Amino acid sequence: MSESSKRRIGVYICHCGGNISDYVDVEKVREAISADPDVVVGKTTLFACADGTQHEMIDDIQGEHLDGLVVASCSPKLHTTTFRGVSARADLNPYAYTQVNIREQDSWAHTDDHDGATQKAIALVQAGIAKTRLSLPLEPLRVETVPATMVVGGGITGLRTAIGLADIGVAVTIVEREAELGGWVGKLGPMFPRDKPGREQIAELLAQVAARPTITVLTNAELVGKAGSFGNYTAKVRLRTEQTEELRQYQVGTFVIATGADVYAPEAGELGYGIDGVVTIHEFGTLVDAAKGSGTLAWQGRKVRSVAYVYCVGNRQLGGNEYCSKFCCAATVHASIKVSDLDPSIRQFHLHRDVRAYGKYELMYTESRERGSVYMRYPDDAPPSIEQLPDKRLAVTVTDALTSPEPLTLPVDLVVLVTGMVPRDNDDLTTLLKLPTGDDGFYNEIHPKLRPVETVVDGVLIAGACQGPKPATEAISGGLAAVTQSAGILKKGFAELDPLVATVTESMCTGCGECLTTCPYDAITSYVCDEGEKATISAASCKGCGGCAPVCPEDAIDLLGYTHAQMMAAIDGLVVAPEKEPVA
Amino acid sequence: MATVVNIDLMGDLQKFGAADVNACFSCGNCTAICPLSDNDATFPRRVIRYAQVGLTDELLGSKELWTCYHCGLCSDSCPTQADPGEFMAAARRYAIASYEPTGLARVLYTKPVIGTVIAVLVAAFFATFMLTQADLGGIDAPELALFDFVPNDVVHWLGIVVMAAMFLAGAWGVVRMVRAIGKRDGVTLKDTVGSGAAWKRTLGAVWDSLGIESLGQKRFRDDCHDDQEVEPLWRRRWLVHALTIWGFLGLFGATLIDYGLELLGIKETGTPIPLWYPSRALGTVAGLSLMYGVTVFMIGRWKKWSTAQADSKGSDWLFLSLLWITGFTGFVIEVALYMSAPPAWGYWVFLVHVAVAMELMLMLPFTKFAHAMYRPVALFFYALARERSTAGA
Repeated sequence: MSESSKRRIGVYICHCGGNISDYVDVEKVREAISADPDVVVGKTTLFACADGTQHEMIDDIQGEHLDGLVVASCSPKLHTTTFRGVSARADLNPYAYTQVNIREQDSWAHTDDHDGATQKAIALVQAGIAKTRLSLPLEPLRVETVPATMVVGGGITGLRTAIGLADIGVAVTIVEREAELGGWVGKLGPMFPRDKPGREQIAELLAQVAARPTITVLTNAELVGKAGSFGNYTAKVRLRTEQTEELRQYQVGTFVIATGADVYAPEAGELGYGIDGVVTIHEFGTLVDAAKGSGTLAWQGRKVRSVAYVYCVGNRQLGGNEYCSKFCCAATVHASIKVSDLDPSIRQFHLHRDVRAYGKYELMYTESRERGSVYMRYPDDAPPSIEQLPDKRLAVTVTDALTSPEPLTLPVDLVVLVTGMVPRDNDDLTTLLKLPTGDDGFYNEIHPKLRPVETVVDGVLIAGACQGPKPATEAISGGLAAVTQSAGILKKGFAELDPLVATVTESMCTGCGECLTTCPYDAITSYVCDEGEKATISAASCKGCGGCAPVCPEDAIDLLGYTHAQMMAAIDGLVVAPEKEPVA
Repeated sequence: MATVVNIDLMGDLQKFGAADVNACFSCGNCTAICPLSDNDATFPRRVIRYAQVGLTDELLGSKELWTCYHCGLCSDSCPTQADPGEFMAAARRYAIASYEPTGLARVLYTKPVIGTVIAVLVAAFFATFMLTQADLGGIDAPELALFDFVPNDVVHWLGIVVMAAMFLAGAWGVVRMVRAIGKRDGVTLKDTVGSGAAWKRTLGAVWDSLGIESLGQKRFRDDCHDDQEVEPLWRRRWLVHALTIWGFLGLFGATLIDYGLELLGIKETGTPIPLWYPSRALGTVAGLSLMYGVTVFMIGRWKKWSTAQADSKGSDWLFLSLLWITGFTGFVIEVALYMSAPPAWGYWVFLVHVAVAMELMLMLPFTKFAHAMYRPVALFFYALARERSTAGA
């Protein structure tokens, strides 16, 4: 133990209202650690996180001139930010505070051994004190940011996002893989809930994009490289024409990934797909849209008198795509209203597993029913079967839970398979940006409610259907959330990052290169100086994972906040027999 | 074998009414609140679903159509204003049109103008036919000798022919209905007449249907109005309906007695008789009863007193009108007969009276009058189902 660093540390041991104190003798812990000469304040408290206790801590820190804080309570996942805040408000460097977990890792785990739990708590708190004793004051890293964003994907989400960004003064580059902007929506006719054709919506957005000189549009383009650090990335874009290929570089502060989704393509034979007259909801939408001119819904020249919609095709399938695509019920209900507009005498049967026309879309569902659409719920384990009749019409056999246990056969002219969304095949982009994907193949946000468009990769935001199936309305909401999130990062001109990052002690580095391949964030690079090759770590790119520290054969890499010295001291603290006096 | 649905059923049925029934989302409030719906006859929700899905056989085999008296509670409590009560009425009209073989009922129900023309033409045909047989010379006689004007035999035999035609069409409809309900309810001939016990059950059900329900109006009277606001007695539907039935049957009875007396050689048809004379007394009381019932029904439909009377089709009016005209002209003739100076118009009123009465009977299977055949059949099956379920339990 280093006697040279005489510290003034405050230690608070939490009862957690009995969660800890029922199993751990917190008084005994306090007595044991109070013997440490660096512990100036040692207290137990009913709830460390309570407002009153926080004020007491601030008073203690200021009154006793503390320069270190240890809170022994619950998991750091719960209250690290709470007590960093307490430190900051008391003018104590937040990184001079250590959280010790004596609840999840002690009292809850050892409810049958009160003495053992108490001994373990003493050891854990001692380790925390030992780590705190060697803490250094750290300041957040400040990085300059570039007021520019690259939007990957030029569908409805990407376009609306680009416009939003341009309007708050962030320069935008839209990178679109296809030759045309607009994505899926650009090909669609009337869309729910307001009937406006997708084509027109995209045309309006394109006009708005064109009117904003700060938006650069790149088509036939793909993002192929990302270098630099948070707030100031260098993005490499490959532009391709039939003959040429060109690489361009752009400096951007953030990325918004809005690459969208694909539509599910039924396999041949799946629910009759492949039989003449069995179409997907997308094909059907085109058919209905085209029928507006003639006023007659026809298939292969024959007037359509009845339609059966089969819902949840390729969605909500155990062992397949288990998710719900969210838009398809509403889209189908809407399509049935359009069909009824064309010819109210067309009979429409909706074979569903439950209609998820949620929120305001419920009203469309009601309208569809009132116009004569019949909704039949089929059992999950008995999907409808589809056969072609000799007269080319189709026979759909289904069991309607509401009518009778006997199957019914619907003679119809068209069967519409209501197909949902599937994730796009974007492996190269996913690998390049290190974007996390879920089991379903869609990109994952950090938290679906609280951080809905951020990813674990700083400065890379996701929006729209690339993060999960959804209607266009919700996709655009996500895009505008990404606008706000980008603005939060870029508009200040700088960003503050956690200073818990790795550093290289140049004099100790031998330039072996071991660490270079270890870093998952490409934060370590090498450079050549008088003494030869050396490694250096970009603080802005480092996530503080610590992966590089143990691989360095020279121990030249230290993780700030968790230095070698701190960790060794903490281990010593753990193994000190609690009965004995602390080793001097 | 899966049932093939009739995709045109709902559209077809809606020609008979039930404009709002598509709004139904099968919640079942109607069935829950209906005082007549029970495990042996569950409606209206189930029957509405048959129509929505397109199960024609199930719909036409539903005795439930006729176990409903259209009190309107279901329509009042329907959360989607789908008007299930009106649906049941429309489905009954559809059933009347579907059971009979000629398509006449469909025209009368769905094409009011053509229906009216047909009604007038039929009456005109009867009148013209009788006129060709009439002896116009006796018009100035000092007494109204109606059967000297149109010979008794002509009226008699024309009546027989009309009754036979009505009976044929009616029997056709009833047979179709019985087969449809029997199939849906799983009632076989063996179940009904195959053994002594079966006979006992069947006769019990016949008594329930004809005696207790049709003549006694028991469920209409006791159960149907459970939760209704109490109407003044003079226009309570079951009472008005009972007076109409009893009035009609009374007149029928009086006619039979009169005919019987002639057969026995006691009195010739058409002979003037005093008011206390049994057949005449019965006829007068029954006629008043019928006139009261029909008139109140017509005013009720005109004023839309209840949900049951809110939506009337041409055929409903035709039935009531024929009944009313028959009754009314009957009384006019009665008055004419006993006036000191017999007016010559008495003969013409008589002509109208007989022609309309003939039409009424001929049209029975094709108008709302058909319920007089079908409802007892349905009530028979209902009584049978109840007996079977009680026995099973």
